[in-house]
Amino acid sequence: MAVEGLTKEFPGGVRALDALDLSIADGEFFALLGPSGCGKTTLLRTIAGLESPTGGSVRIGERDVTALAPGARDVAMVFQDYALFPHMTVQENIAYPLKIKRQPRAERAHRAEDVAAQLGLGGLMPRRPAELSGGQQQRVALARAVACHPSVFLFDEPLSNLDARLRLEARTFIKRLQRQLAVTTVFVTHDQAEALALADRIAVMDAGRIRQVGTPRDVFRRPANTFVANFIGSTPMNLVPGEVRGTGIAVAGATLPRPDGLADGEPVTIGIRPEYLPVLADEQDGTFTGEVSIVEHLGTSSLVTVDVGGELLGGVVPEGEEPDQGARVWLRPMPGRVLVYRAEDGTLVA
Amino acid sequence: MNLARAVVGRILTYVVFGLATAFFAVPLLWLVSTPFDANPGYAVHWPSTFTLHNFTTLWHNPYAPSSIENSVLLAVGTVVIVVVGAALAAYALSRIRIPGRDALLYVLLLLSSVITGTAAMVPTFLLIFQLGLIDSRFGVVLVLSGGLLPAAIFLLKDFIDAIPRSYEESARVFGASPLQILRHVVVPVARPGLATIAVWTVVQVWGTFLTPFILLSSTDKQPASVLVNTFYTEGGSPNLGLISTFSLLYSIPVVLMYLFAWSRYGFRFHGGIKS
Repeated sequence: MAVEGLTKEFPGGVRALDALDLSIADGEFFALLGPSGCGKTTLLRTIAGLESPTGGSVRIGERDVTALAPGARDVAMVFQDYALFPHMTVQENIAYPLKIKRQPRAERAHRAEDVAAQLGLGGLMPRRPAELSGGQQQRVALARAVACHPSVFLFDEPLSNLDARLRLEARTFIKRLQRQLAVTTVFVTHDQAEALALADRIAVMDAGRIRQVGTPRDVFRRPANTFVANFIGSTPMNLVPGEVRGTGIAVAGATLPRPDGLADGEPVTIGIRPEYLPVLADEQDGTFTGEVSIVEHLGTSSLVTVDVGGELLGGVVPEGEEPDQGARVWLRPMPGRVLVYRAEDGTLVA
Repeated sequence: MNLARAVVGRILTYVVFGLATAFFAVPLLWLVSTPFDANPGYAVHWPSTFTLHNFTTLWHNPYAPSSIENSVLLAVGTVVIVVVGAALAAYALSRIRIPGRDALLYVLLLLSSVITGTAAMVPTFLLIFQLGLIDSRFGVVLVLSGGLLPAAIFLLKDFIDAIPRSYEESARVFGASPLQILRHVVVPVARPGLATIAVWTVVQVWGTFLTPFILLSSTDKQPASVLVNTFYTEGGSPNLGLISTFSLLYSIPVVLMYLFAWSRYGFRFHGGIKS
């Protein structure tokens, strides 16, 4: 599947999609990630045909589907609110796409049974959506999409209406289902953890543009710019201004090794994840130092916010080794985990 | 002290409720007791001499049975036009963005409620006269539908607004045509709203007097609401026995319909899908 130069401008001049290019491999699990209002849902709806683009094209397989009606594109969509028809039973809901495709009644019932059994909905067929739990509703919506054997699945934040624990289960379930069926899947989410956990590749979007495309590992380890760096990660990345000076970079009272490709005196932004910034109780070389201002417990570790000469840096300590508030501590960046961005445009240097 | 105040408060509450209930109950009691009374009066009491004479008289009245039939015809005709028209209009108004849509709806509603049927009667009469629909039940149906549509569209649009668009979009992605979407999804989901509109329309038409009174001149075409006006004795005083009997028969269909629709769909004058 591919989109080329896709642009969507809403009346009133809001540009939701700005000349997007994207290609998604066959059978790939692809996540569109971004803050709300970044255009990810618009992109998904344009792929589905529910919005028509003002420019560019959408191809699915060998076909250019830009001008086709949603129903002719051979895609299935799962909506954020699941859009289960409240007046139909689970069975009727799952079989609805087949009814539209004029399959005989017996075939419809048979396929619905099959898919329902596969998704663990066996006993729920005569119920109505209002009689199901959120997790069950979500699986019925998935079953309905699976039942029509599309060439692409489009998921619009299907996990966001579930509570936190159920979300983790559903996440695993969706990933397993996608692996089993090997159908190309586009998954929209604003939850970076969800995207990292599920996707083969992630596109991080902001203001109608794609800021980075890559595997979860790429996007997590080497965010291409400060926007992605800030957005990805369950604890916010430390982004600190610094300046190139002689053989190093001066940042918040410490000196870090200087990468190639930077001019002397150039302002930069340093990015270090708290997980790669262990908190030490005694002084070492190349460390930041400051006073502990807040300690937040994360379970197996704690996030320690340290006031380093006016900059707040987050570091991590293993559970049980939390420093006292106000204590002087040292933060030593792990070698190879320090990212340097040009301050001017926020792009990654090293 | 407090207890005494609570008791007095409780007693006063019940007295107020009792008076309010009586205010509404007395006419209804009169309506169910008087038809069976051989000597009808304005007082409410158990029939002094039980009789079914009033019912046989009405049955043999040349116009009474057919007037109920006329009422049914007018009601059914108007319901069909109002429900179909309002459903299509409300769906379009709810889903398609046109500039000034809300203003248009409010103006329609305002005009239709401010300019009552009475005020518009002369122009309406002239219009129907020009159309050659005087003394035709179809003409009455058109005028009544015209009067009821704005409020029906307004009520129904609110209802359809509350149906998530994702239902229709979901059906569209599966390849359903607009007509299939309407039949399979929108109408079934909006059914309580449609039932509400239908019942409300029937009740309105059933009780309407002025429009059929003015537009229908033949007695055999007049609905029950107009015919009841003719039950006078030779002396010129109202024939209470016949009026009460006819009124009772005339109310029963509406009450039954109301109960049926209520048990089947429940009434909701607002949108909202239970999900």
